[in-house]
Amino acid sequence: MSHAASNQNLITEEIRRYHHFITLALWLAAITGVEIVLIFLPVSLPIILTILCALSAIKFFAVILWFMHLIYDHRLLFWIFVAGLGLAFATFTALLSLFAVNRIDTKWFS
Amino acid sequence: MSQVAESSHAPTSTGIDHKKLIMWLFLASDCMFFGTLISTHLLYRKLYPTGFTDAEGHQRFIQNLFNIELTSFSTFILLMSSFLMALAVSAMHKGQIKSFRRNVLGVIFFGLIFLGCQVFEFTHFYHQGLTIQNSVFGSTFYVLTGTHGTHVAIGVLWLILLYFYSFTGKLGGHVGALDVEVAGLYWHFVDIVWIIIFTAVYLVEYLGPSGFWGTGLPLTK
Repeated sequence: MSHAASNQNLITEEIRRYHHFITLALWLAAITGVEIVLIFLPVSLPIILTILCALSAIKFFAVILWFMHLIYDHRLLFWIFVAGLGLAFATFTALLSLFAVNRIDTKWFS
Repeated sequence: MSQVAESSHAPTSTGIDHKKLIMWLFLASDCMFFGTLISTHLLYRKLYPTGFTDAEGHQRFIQNLFNIELTSFSTFILLMSSFLMALAVSAMHKGQIKSFRRNVLGVIFFGLIFLGCQVFEFTHFYHQGLTIQNSVFGSTFYVLTGTHGTHVAIGVLWLILLYFYSFTGKLGGHVGALDVEVAGLYWHFVDIVWIIIFTAVYLVEYLGPSGFWGTGLPLTK
């Protein structure tokens, strides 16, 4: 493939991504709006919390996959980031387990 | 005149540019950093649900302190700045330096608005009696959001430098596009961290008739 043709492909690809970015930005704004409305709805706490976590996760992965190009880039980069994310989540889970409030005498902290 | 960035680069053993690889490794480590900060905040929020005592000795509750309108606005601003950053990176890949400058100026502007909102919020909280020293909530909240704000400030500084560097004519070709992409990765990371903070720190405070952490008080402004 000639250099000019290669450049043309790059431009076509970037134009395609440009439309993805606009669509994604609109979705992200809409999801944030939904989140704000949700917290004021009289729905049971576990349901709202689950929905909020799910919406956050959707926004989080949408940004890393499209805005940060992970969906287009080398697969290794994805796994590097997921490793860090996994360790962070493991730390969170471990801390929650260690400091389960029912087993802690909080007067030791005051 | 636009000129497409050359896609060829020096071969690496992984097939990935070193700058990009290093940035992703850094972001993975920063994930763990923010993971511990967010975990600490949530844990202590659970252990101490009643808030803080202000300078006059009054018990204050966190639910009445937050301003969800302001925080939502900040979140929207940061999301849109991420969108502009993606456009700036795309413009650099297409070799459109003017478009890059326009978009990166937008990112800088939005970043500064976000920082302004955070300064306003911190000042408001301080005047309400919440300091970094007078409660566990104050400590974890200021450290977490302050660390994030510092990341935003570093990102803004980085982008300002890139903006002025673009006028030297050295920010071009594949290397220039890669430099912008790496800065973009950092900026998007700051955005995704805020997505989590927005839900875990701010939104959960409004859940349930007496707040998610169960202070037993109604949510009144």
